[in-house]
This record gives sequence, structure tokens and C-alpha cells, in this order.
Amino acid sequence: MIAIEKVGKNFGSTTVLDGVELAIAPGEVVSILGASGSGKSTLIRCINGLETVDAGRITVDGFDVAEKAGLAEARRRSATVFQLFNLYPHMTALENVMLAPTMVLKRPRAEVEAEARALLERVGLAARAEAYPAQLSGGQRQRVGICRALAMKPRYLLLDEVTSALDPEMTAEVLAILAQLAREGTTMLFVTHEIEFARRISTRVVFLEKGRIEVNLPTAEFFSEAGGLANPRIARFLSRMAAPEAAAPLSPAPTDAHEAS
Amino acid sequence: MRYADFTWHDPIILLQGLGVSLWLFLATSAIGLALGIGLALTRYYRVPVVARLVQVVAEFLKNSPVLVQLFLVFFGLPAMAHINVTPVEAAMITLAGNTAAFVYVIAVSAMEQVGRDQVEAARVFGLTRGQIVWRIIAPQALAFAIGPLIGLAVNQLQVTSLVSVVGVMDLTKVGNILNMRTLKPFVVWTVVGAVYFIIARLIAALGGALERRLRAHAAWAGL
Ligand SMILES: Nc1ncnc2c1ncn2[C@@H]1O[C@H](COP(=O)(O)OP(=O)(O)OP(=O)(O)O)[C@@H](O)[C@H]1O
Ligand SMILES: [Mg+2]
Repeated sequence: MIAIEKVGKNFGSTTVLDGVELAIAPGEVVSILGASGSGKSTLIRCINGLETVDAGRITVDGFDVAEKAGLAEARRRSATVFQLFNLYPHMTALENVMLAPTMVLKRPRAEVEAEARALLERVGLAARAEAYPAQLSGGQRQRVGICRALAMKPRYLLLDEVTSALDPEMTAEVLAILAQLAREGTTMLFVTHEIEFARRISTRVVFLEKGRIEVNLPTAEFFSEAGGLANPRIARFLSRMAAPEAAAPLSPAPTDAHEAS
Repeated sequence: MRYADFTWHDPIILLQGLGVSLWLFLATSAIGLALGIGLALTRYYRVPVVARLVQVVAEFLKNSPVLVQLFLVFFGLPAMAHINVTPVEAAMITLAGNTAAFVYVIAVSAMEQVGRDQVEAARVFGLTRGQIVWRIIAPQALAFAIGPLIGLAVNQLQVTSLVSVVGVMDLTKVGNILNMRTLKPFVVWTVVGAVYFIIARLIAALGGALERRLRAHAAWAGL
């Protein structure tokens, strides 16, 4: 379980996170929605220890990320997929995937390589294993990014707008893989602007507004008239975000959320 | 006899001088490289006081004549600190320090060219600082730095000639002695100059080959 307890974060005099309370249990897919600047990325960066919190506490399976040993353990249990992929450009796709399992988990190379190749195959990149990131399309790079995270066999996957740097076609490739992972029961914390997709794969939706959790509801309830949509801010946000192409990737999605706005 | 003609012995002492120059060049380059990279790491990791101090010293070494630095070490150390240094020691200290300053600047800039985002990714995946430096930063920074480093090496070879002033028997000093004895400056300095030129071209050629090899492995950078 990832437990976020009364977390506060300031950059100078701006409060970016304010009393954030959130728990992600194994098996859940929690989507985080919110306007630009609401603190979504910062929240992810506090969980994976790229930022330190100013108030409250974050634990991953009980390991406090504010402590050095706790953070190391927390980082083994969670893996991050980045918006801009953040691949290592001097390493091939395969090497990108293999680096952390061999260096951090100290697992035997041969075993790691077999698994890495299997992961790349699974996302349709078996033939591109020896390619460098610069030789791959954005969608392919992000698929490598996902494999790199999965190679650590994390209990939790942290995803920060992993498709927002991709065109619709590439977005579809990546979302299809995430949907598959969700079906298999991978625990995910999923920051996204893909509302329809979030609706389809998540068990719960969190709406962040100016660093505070405005609502935290099961998906069906979040998108229902009496639930999340009763909140005018959320209704406004959803109507603004509901661009038609956002729904394209998998199957035609129900449209009642749009009608509400 | 006020002066003598060239003898069969002269090429040998020229070679000896060349040996001293090359040895000085290689030793101070190696020390300077290691020191410069080490100091660049203090800056990369923003080691509090050290990083600032290093920067000030590097600026001084970069922006003052090497000859002045050499005099400061050779005459200054005995006078101020009562540490006696031989000409070779003074030459070593000065050249190594000077090379380190330039390597420092090159290394800092090369390391800054390695995107922070990948370093963040590596941290999140649990790599240690050492692993990040070795596996992520070093290979990429080296590809960025190799060109400037080769340029620096060619330049530092020429700079070794300054140590002749404090009496180190390097190629230039030998040239000086031959010149005094034969009074044929045009011949002597043409030969000495040609030797420096050949060695410099050799360094550039070796460096170029190394760079091409690095680039071949770094197909990622050229795309
Ligand atoms: N390193 C930083 N220094 C100062 N301010 C920062 C820093 N990182 C983020 N901020 C500020 O914190 C606020 C929240 O940023 P954050 O990136 O978490 O938002 P976000 O919800 O992810 O937005 P987006 O949807 O645009 O990605 C913004 O106002 C941003 O300017
Ligand atoms: Mg963001």
C-alpha cells in the first residue's frame, strides 16, 4: 500500500500540495485528474523521492520515503514511467530495460536479458531491442519506458502523463498496453489528461485542485451525476478536457459524462 | 673555438630532451585529467565549500600565464613556504595544476550537457550515485568532452616548452643549448619546431581515432 498522509509541499512561498491524504491499495488503479499546475506531477515526485515533502509522510508498504533506507526500499517496490520518457540515450532499448535489474537488484544478466526481451516482445518491440532511443518513435520510446519500469517487477507503477508527449496514434499504442496491465491487476497511480481512458481502466479517480484533493471516489461514482459531477469544478474540468480524440484508442466509450457538462 | 658544428651526438640529446618533454606531458596530462574530473564531480554534486573554492582556483589557473604560475611555484614556494622544489617538481606541479583547471572546465560543461531527466530516472530506479556517474553520466560526458580534450592535449604539449625556463632539460632547453653552441638558430629551431609539430599531429591523430571509436559506439549522439 502507498499511504500519503497529510502531505504538504511548498516551492518557496507557493503551496503546491496541501494536506493530501491518499491510499493506494494493491490491485487498485487510481487515476489523478486535475488542471495544469494543480500539483499532480509534484505528488508523483514526492512518492518516488525526487522531491522531499515539507509536511506529512509518504510510505510505500510501510517504508518511509523520507528516510534513506526507506526510500531505497520504496524505490524497489515502485517504478515510474515519465512523461518525456527519460530514457538513457546512450543505451539501446534492451540496455535501458536491463540496467536497473542488473545494477540495483543485482540479478544475473542472462536471466534479466531473457525477461527484458520478453517484455519488449510483449509491447511489440522485439525487433527494435538493439535500437537507441533516438532511432525510435515517441510511442516506441514510451513503450521502452514502460518495459524499463516493468522489468523491476514493481508492486506499484507510477505514471505521470505518459501519453501527453505523443500523437493520438502513439497514444493509442501506449494506452493499449496500460489497459492490458490494468486488466492483469497491476497497481497503478495514473496521472492523466485522458479522461475517457481513466474512466475505463481505473478503480478510483482522484481530483486534485490547487494542491488539495477535491474528491476521491470510485470511478463509477466519480462520473455519476450525484457523485463527482455534482461538484461544479469537476464538471467544468471534465467538459473542458473531453476532447473527442481522447476516447479513440480502445473501444467506443459511453458518453453520459459529456452530457452532464 | 667560439662555437662548434653539429655532431653525431646532437640527435641523441635532442631525443633525450624529447623524452623529458613527452614524459612531462604524459604524466601531467594523466594527473591533470584525474584531478580535473574529480574536481568537476565536486561541482556536479555541489559539495558546499570545496566546489566554490575549486572554481575560484580554476579561474585563476585558466586566466593567468602558465609562466607566471611556474615562477610562483618555483620561486614562490621556497620563499613563502620554505618548501624547496626541483625544476622538474615545479614543472610537474604547474603543468598538472594547469591541465586540471582546463579539464575541470571541459568536464563540468560536458556533464551539464547530460540531461538531468535521465539522471532523475536512474535515481528513481534506485541506482547509487556512483552507478549513475559511471553508467549514465561518464559515457555521455566523455563523448561530449573528447573533442575539447584532444584540443587541450595538443595545446598542453606546446605549453611544456615553458619549463625550459627554470632549467628542465626538455626538448626546448636542449634546442637552446644546441643553438648556443652552434649559433645556427634557423636550423636548430626548425628541427625542434618540426619535432613538436610531428608529436602534436600524432596526438591529434590518435585522439581523432579515439573520438571516431567513441562516436561509433555513440550512434545515439549523431542521429
Ligand atoms: N521545481 C519547482 N520549483 C518551483 N515551482 C515548481 C517546481 N515544480 C513545480 N512547481 C510549481 O508547482 C505547481 C504544481 O506543479 P506540477 O508540475 O505538480 O503541476 P501538474 O499538476 O503536474 O501540472 P501539469 O498538468 O501541467 O503537468 C506549479 O505551479 C508549478 O509551477
Ligand atoms: Mg505534470
